[in-house]
Amino acid sequence: MSDHELFLDLSVDLTGFSRIDLLGTGLTERYLEELHEVLPGTMVSDLLSTFERERANSGSETIPRLLEDEVWGPVARNMIMLWYCGRWTALPHSWTAQNGTAGKNTDHVVSPAAYVAGLQWVAAGAHPAGARQQGFGAWATAPEGLI
Amino acid sequence: MEPGVVMDSAADADVVVVGAGVAGSLVAKRLTRAGLHVLLLEAGPATAWSFDGYGAHLDAFYGADAKGPESPWAPAVGVPQPDTADLRGDDGYFVQAGPLKYASTYTRLQGGSTLHWLGVSLRMLPEDFRMRSRYGVGRDWPLQYSDLEPYYRQAEYEIGVAADVADQTYLGVEFAPGYEYPMQRVPPSWSDSVLAGAVDGMPVTLGEREYRLKVRSYPAARNSTPREGYRPVGAVDEGPDGQRLARDLGQRCAGNTACTPICPIQAKYNAGKTLAQAERTNLHVVPQAVASRILVDPLTGQVTGVQYQHYDDPSSPRHRVRTARARAYVLAAHAVENVKLMLMSQLADGSGLLGRTLMDHPSLYGWGLAPGPVGAFRGPLSTSGIDDLRGGAFRARHAAFRVDIGNDGWRANTGAPDTTVAEAVSAHGLYGPELRRHLSTVLPRQVRFSLNVEQLPSLDNRVSIDARAVDRLGNPRPVIHYAIDEYTLAGMAEARRVYQEIFRRAGIEDRTNPDEGSWFPAVTYHGDVLHYHGMGHFAGTHVMGSDPSASVVDVDQRCWEHRNLFLVGSGSFPTMGTSNPTLTMAALALRTSDRLVTELCA
Repeated sequence: MSDHELFLDLSVDLTGFSRIDLLGTGLTERYLEELHEVLPGTMVSDLLSTFERERANSGSETIPRLLEDEVWGPVARNMIMLWYCGRWTALPHSWTAQNGTAGKNTDHVVSPAAYVAGLQWVAAGAHPAGARQQGFGAWATAPEGLI
Repeated sequence: MEPGVVMDSAADADVVVVGAGVAGSLVAKRLTRAGLHVLLLEAGPATAWSFDGYGAHLDAFYGADAKGPESPWAPAVGVPQPDTADLRGDDGYFVQAGPLKYASTYTRLQGGSTLHWLGVSLRMLPEDFRMRSRYGVGRDWPLQYSDLEPYYRQAEYEIGVAADVADQTYLGVEFAPGYEYPMQRVPPSWSDSVLAGAVDGMPVTLGEREYRLKVRSYPAARNSTPREGYRPVGAVDEGPDGQRLARDLGQRCAGNTACTPICPIQAKYNAGKTLAQAERTNLHVVPQAVASRILVDPLTGQVTGVQYQHYDDPSSPRHRVRTARARAYVLAAHAVENVKLMLMSQLADGSGLLGRTLMDHPSLYGWGLAPGPVGAFRGPLSTSGIDDLRGGAFRARHAAFRVDIGNDGWRANTGAPDTTVAEAVSAHGLYGPELRRHLSTVLPRQVRFSLNVEQLPSLDNRVSIDARAVDRLGNPRPVIHYAIDEYTLAGMAEARRVYQEIFRRAGIEDRTNPDEGSWFPAVTYHGDVLHYHGMGHFAGTHVMGSDPSASVVDVDQRCWEHRNLFLVGSGSFPTMGTSNPTLTMAALALRTSDRLVTELCA
């Protein structure tokens, strides 16, 4: 499978949103690129091949194992923050001391579009503050669309 | 006339106005429509005045890591402004001289702080004008509610307030017979309705008296359904060929849930809308012009000009100094900036009150989880409040307060929803469908109250300047001495008790924990630590009164010692009660405008 496909599969497992939901943000490529901008060397490919291998071997234990892993856990949690909040959270010094970084490892919102596309607003049954307005008076009605 | 080109030999205009915020814009509109020529000096850039410029501010907000009130509104380098993010590090624009930090901010761009205000437009209560004679505290205003009521009506039409008179008739607030607000009230949020079901009629005791609470719709300067004959004013778009209004955008609130820090469609009032309605042939706006000195004739005390620093590049402190001259001068630069300019000009202050009696509404957050979804993160940030404790006999002993009910979850107090996601992922180890389910359960239940507490005038709370602390243009930064006295602290403690009672009654699980929330300054009261935030409600720094020895300006906001100089804005307020100051300062600015028209057109 391509990195792109593996990245999507991993993202689906991490976020609880479907491939269609994730592709609908229009940010898949951008977030994969974000990983490349922060993780050094071949780490992105290593992460995705680790995911592919674990998935074949461990089934439903794949994500818990990944999240417990010293190296991949912080990265996987950051991927959740990317999809839900459109933001990168700086990996801790202890992590970068061990693994290095390709740079750009600071707290930042990926882009204006990434902020607007955050899945947290969908999970809240709401809309991003300042965008995707719901229409006059929508706030007076009971919230809908919660799972 | 080219911007900034000034004729030294003759008057440039009938009136020079300093500051294009709500007060200055209202003065400019009224004066120019009466045929007077106005030169309006604005310290900041006019970026928010064009549709594209406004859009760039919106993108800055989307892309900002911290999304505080100032995040879309970065100032020019020569015109710094206070920022909530600077409070903790104590390295901001204000020199915080203590003992407590003054927690409020404002914006130095054309449009001023209306660019990111909430839009609530409360009238002051009649009793707020008479605190000394009624309750023996604070000071009385030189005018009464009934004197200001006609101007409240005008202000409500000028800035476009949506409300129903029936909701707003309480605690002595009265309206002229037959009066209607220009627009129907903004629909209350689902959260308001749920809360009202639990709270309305609930008794609380303050002092020896019992008060009944009610969730009450806020009057708001947000476009809603217009009443007959009123046309809502939408987004502004200044082009090279002049002003255009309303590109079919912003004539109705659309639920962007971002009044603060930026309404993307400008359905919420900002001062640019007023300026756009000025008589343009009589108005000359000069943005990027920082007033730096008021020139006075030493014999007569009359103001003869205003020096200003004009810069072309907002990213550079390079500037040229120019002078603007007129028959009368109106400082509408903000309660702090007005004082700063007066002090920089070393103008006489016989009363000793210039810069003194600075006030705010030091406010507490209370937050919790409702028993079921209330639809948080939807709608104007606050559509209702609990206002029954804004007035009452207890004010002889402690401060009044109002309860502002948020519609944006725990955003203001914790940085939610991002922090809620981060906590679920990092602290609880959630991921996948379980994470999504958790967030869908928790986020729509987030309830946030902001308890806005009255503060009385105190001589110790003041704005001054120190020649050693200057900005990039060489102008002094404001030095703020600030404390919160027993009267307000006792009110804060009562406000906290009341919100806890309301939460219990409504079955809201109290999750208030300042250690886990965003950082705010704290003050200790009887062993309790109270974390307070500012409301941006600066007032009292150039107080109005009827006695020149006990006030800086008279009832017309005219400076006692410089009779062609007017200081307008909330700096003129003797007291502030619990209402946000915008509507009252708008009413006062209109009143002062009428005086100016009468005199200068004579």
